[in-house]
Amino acid sequence: MLQLIDLHKTFDQPTGRITVLGGIDFHLEAGQSAALLGESGSGKSTLLHLAAGLDHPDHGDIKINGQSTRHHTEADWAEQRRNHISLVFQQFHLIPTLTVLDNVRLQARLCGRMDPDYEHQLLNRLGLATLTHRLPHQLSGGQQQRVAIARALLHRPPLVLADEPTGNLDEHSSESVMALFVDLVREAGCTLLMVTHSAAMAAYLDQRWRLHDGTLSREGEVA
Amino acid sequence: MSGLASLRRLMWVGLTLLSHYRRHPAQTAFLIIGLVTGVGIWSAVQIINSHARASYAEADQVLGAQASHWVRASDGGGVDPDAYIQLRRAGFTQLYPVIETRVATDAGEPLWLIATDLLALPRSEGSIDASGAGWLAMIQPPYQTWYPPELAESLGVAPGDTLTLSDGRTLPPAVPQSQQQQGRRLFMDIGAALDVLDRDRFSYLAAAGLDADTARELEAALPSGLRLEPNRQRLDLNQLTESLHTNLTAMSLLSFAVGLFIVFNAVRYALLSRSPTFHTLRELGASGRQLSFAILLETGVWSLIGTGLGLAVGFGLSQVLLPPLAATLQSLYGAVVGADILLRPSTWLLAWGITLAGLVFALAMPLWQESRQSVRAARDLSDRWVRDRTARRRLAWVGLILALAAGAVYSQMTTVLVGFVVLGLALFAAAFCLPVVLGAVLGWTLRALPEKAWQLRWAFSDGGAQLPTLRIAMMALLLALTANLGVETLVGSFRTALTDWLDQRLAADLYLQRDSLTREELNLPADADWLAASHQRVGLDIRWRGRPTEVRGLEPEAPDSRALPLADSSNELSLWYVWDTDNPVILANEQVRHLAGVESGQTITLSTGLGDRSFEIVGFVHDYGNPYYQFYLPRGEVERLWPGRAEPQGLALWLSDRPDAEASAEAALLAAGAQAGDWIRQAQIKTVSLRIFDRTFAITAAMNGLTLGVAGLALLTALLAIHQQRLPDYAHWRSLGVRYREMGRVLTLPLAVIVLLTWLASMPLGALLSWLLIHDLNVLAFGWTMALDWDWAPAIRLGLLTAGVVAAALAVSLWRLHRQLPEALRRLGGQS
Ligand SMILES: Nc1ncnc2c1ncn2[C@@H]1O[C@H](COP(=O)(O)OP(=O)(O)OP(=O)(O)O)[C@@H](O)[C@H]1O
Ligand SMILES: [Mg+2]
Repeated sequence: MLQLIDLHKTFDQPTGRITVLGGIDFHLEAGQSAALLGESGSGKSTLLHLAAGLDHPDHGDIKINGQSTRHHTEADWAEQRRNHISLVFQQFHLIPTLTVLDNVRLQARLCGRMDPDYEHQLLNRLGLATLTHRLPHQLSGGQQQRVAIARALLHRPPLVLADEPTGNLDEHSSESVMALFVDLVREAGCTLLMVTHSAAMAAYLDQRWRLHDGTLSREGEVA
Repeated sequence: MSGLASLRRLMWVGLTLLSHYRRHPAQTAFLIIGLVTGVGIWSAVQIINSHARASYAEADQVLGAQASHWVRASDGGGVDPDAYIQLRRAGFTQLYPVIETRVATDAGEPLWLIATDLLALPRSEGSIDASGAGWLAMIQPPYQTWYPPELAESLGVAPGDTLTLSDGRTLPPAVPQSQQQQGRRLFMDIGAALDVLDRDRFSYLAAAGLDADTARELEAALPSGLRLEPNRQRLDLNQLTESLHTNLTAMSLLSFAVGLFIVFNAVRYALLSRSPTFHTLRELGASGRQLSFAILLETGVWSLIGTGLGLAVGFGLSQVLLPPLAATLQSLYGAVVGADILLRPSTWLLAWGITLAGLVFALAMPLWQESRQSVRAARDLSDRWVRDRTARRRLAWVGLILALAAGAVYSQMTTVLVGFVVLGLALFAAAFCLPVVLGAVLGWTLRALPEKAWQLRWAFSDGGAQLPTLRIAMMALLLALTANLGVETLVGSFRTALTDWLDQRLAADLYLQRDSLTREELNLPADADWLAASHQRVGLDIRWRGRPTEVRGLEPEAPDSRALPLADSSNELSLWYVWDTDNPVILANEQVRHLAGVESGQTITLSTGLGDRSFEIVGFVHDYGNPYYQFYLPRGEVERLWPGRAEPQGLALWLSDRPDAEASAEAALLAAGAQAGDWIRQAQIKTVSLRIFDRTFAITAAMNGLTLGVAGLALLTALLAIHQQRLPDYAHWRSLGVRYREMGRVLTLPLAVIVLLTWLASMPLGALLSWLLIHDLNVLAFGWTMALDWDWAPAIRLGLLTAGVVAAALAVSLWRLHRQLPEALRRLGGQS
């Protein structure tokens, strides 16, 4: 589903040029889930951004569904995300002027994959059924995060990329929300790559990868 | 020591706050643009106003900075040269004669001609350089006419040329002479003027530096029929032109207010993005007082920058605005305004003061609030649009209070100044109520849209997020549109009224302009078959109630007398046509009614050559463009009451409908001693009149354009601010795969609706404004009444113009957005 081939990424900083990703190779089968671990500043978010086309590598290729994106324009990437990739960030990024329901439906509407039954099921499982007509600022942080999750999954995207999706929540709610999230992703048959700091969370997923000194290695597999 | 430390700390706080502007050049640019346009337009008008006033004072200096008194004929006629010689022989050497008259070139261009006796001119009036041979040539035939060089150039007169006047006379050879004080006047020797203009009287005698005793002696020595009066020319000009200057000041203040809107916008935006800085500074231990000081410092810095740059721009702008203003003053009042502008320290100080006041309003207030605000509100921007609903409602309450105040003041409106206060209150009341209306309409539409139209609903809900930043720009736009519509309607109505009035007033086919060629002198055959009717007017200038006043003698049976353009149908005009010596009645122009406050049926007293006489007013006549009072009597009465004083005022000829009437008329006129060029066709006069009218209102058009331009800038800055501020939102939309086209639709649609609503709101408001201007202010200022003539064309033109401005602003803003988005995408999900 998602394949990263020899990805390189450097950043220019006041102190000089730093190499964040120094040749990353990574492969994730459809329907699999992987946790991306690493110290702060190790480049996890950078890797996720490249995978979503929000930023571009200096070198290397990203294959989605076996197709190279080497020649993707910014607009091609937008179409790719519209139809195939869902992003979940630490900031929930809800649209503040839209109701919960409109927020949840937004991406499904964009790619034209509305599913009323699934929507009903999602809202119930995420405990949002009674909140559909509220505006985001009238929700708690956990509720907002669940809206973001519902929005990311309603159209059942082939690939879900999540960057510390619970960073803003306390540990207890974060764990229950995450467990629910991973269950829902699995049930929907999506492929998931998730950045997390929590070992418990990582244990819940199929694979664990660690980013260190610009290289990526699979946990439990000593190179 | 601790004082120094706290000072250092203060500097540190101030510099931290100011450093924001260095890192955000766009915000700095908005702030400066707002300040500079506001201060620039305001100070431009201020500069030309004070310049015009200075010019009036200078105009006096041609012949009498020290002319404390004038000797005039009580009946308004001129002063006999014999009387002058007699007075000088009696030792009143302070006296010098002046001829001052308005003439027109054969092209209809109005000119002022002024003449005096250079020999009699006191030393203190040494402003005219008349040394040596130049002086001799001036007082001997063929004489000289001195032209200010710019005037000679604009008239196309070369040195030595002799200019032909509309009455057929020729002026002495031209000499370009740079006399500062002369303005746009022609200058001649008094003997030459008597000769060339074929006059036997001076306009008046001027007296320089009369002390009270001498004045009393002079008064006693005056022959009967002459009167000593204090020099009032300057007073007259100031009085006459005051309304116009008030007008301009009001318009410039409006531009200033619109400029302040930009500043306000920029500041609010700078504030929002500086909230974290405030927060940090508080955390680092800066006290509230230190923050306040720092804010004051910031306000001071900005006010100096704004004043300096604004005055520079205003100075340049005043050079552009001066020519149309000079044209207005010249054609309305005959007032002469020089071309050189000076920047006075007082203007500088006033500009700084007003900038500072404006900035305190726009910058210090919200900054101060921010510095006191709790930590809570500072970080959270996401629900700002929700909180804005409360702010909008509060604004609307202020608007309502302003509207009530406007209503209350309206009933007390007696001067032009108060009139403008009412206008201002009404305009701002409407502007303050606008946001609540915009929010409500967006909300209603959102609720009315069906579930399926999700993109539309998204767009309309997004309007709610744009409104907090847009509303100020929309208020500015509403002000600008309303002012434009109101003033355009005023000018349009005025033009319609003037055209109708000219049609009525200029009913004759030919006008003989040479004043010396009267009907009697021409001896036209009364039974000529080309002639249907004729009207020989006479007239003279007098003073009445302290203002220059014209008395006109009409022939009651003439066609145009029968169809006088009445201001009020209830007038008992019939009384005027049937002259009853026991019960003398008079017609007046409506300026007499509205400026002097005389009503129909009341009695007024004029000083005539036969002593004071009383007349009952029986009607008022429209008399557009005339700053003077004017009274109409039958020609016979004028000649009887002011014997020998009434001058011919032109002969009007109505042609019969014979096909060769015009040719016969011209042949007959030539045969009777007139020259080609002595007469002018009706259409020609109308063209000249309308041209003068259009030139008069050129300044208004310029101010209108400027105000709209400033509003356009306000809109652009608001859009840039919105997009800058919401860039992370947009990046997020893009991360969801929203296409640019869809994004553009969501952003543009609510903006279009908001602008459309603002434009719609400007129409009833513009109508109200023009109604106030026409119904009240114009009457207070000029004493002219006219019908409001609503035209959709300006409204539509403004609508299209606004659409263009919005489209341009949006294009610039979206283009910037498009360029910044990739970077914003990269930062998406980042910590800040
Ligand atoms: N736009 C940028 N310009 C320069 N340097 C950058 C940029 N974005 C990221 N970096 C640097 O790249 C490195 C990796 O950043 P990244 O955000 O990917 O780390 P992370 O692993 O997600 O850390 P965290 O766990 O704290 O979120 C950091 O040193 C960061 O400072
Ligand atoms: Mg990260």
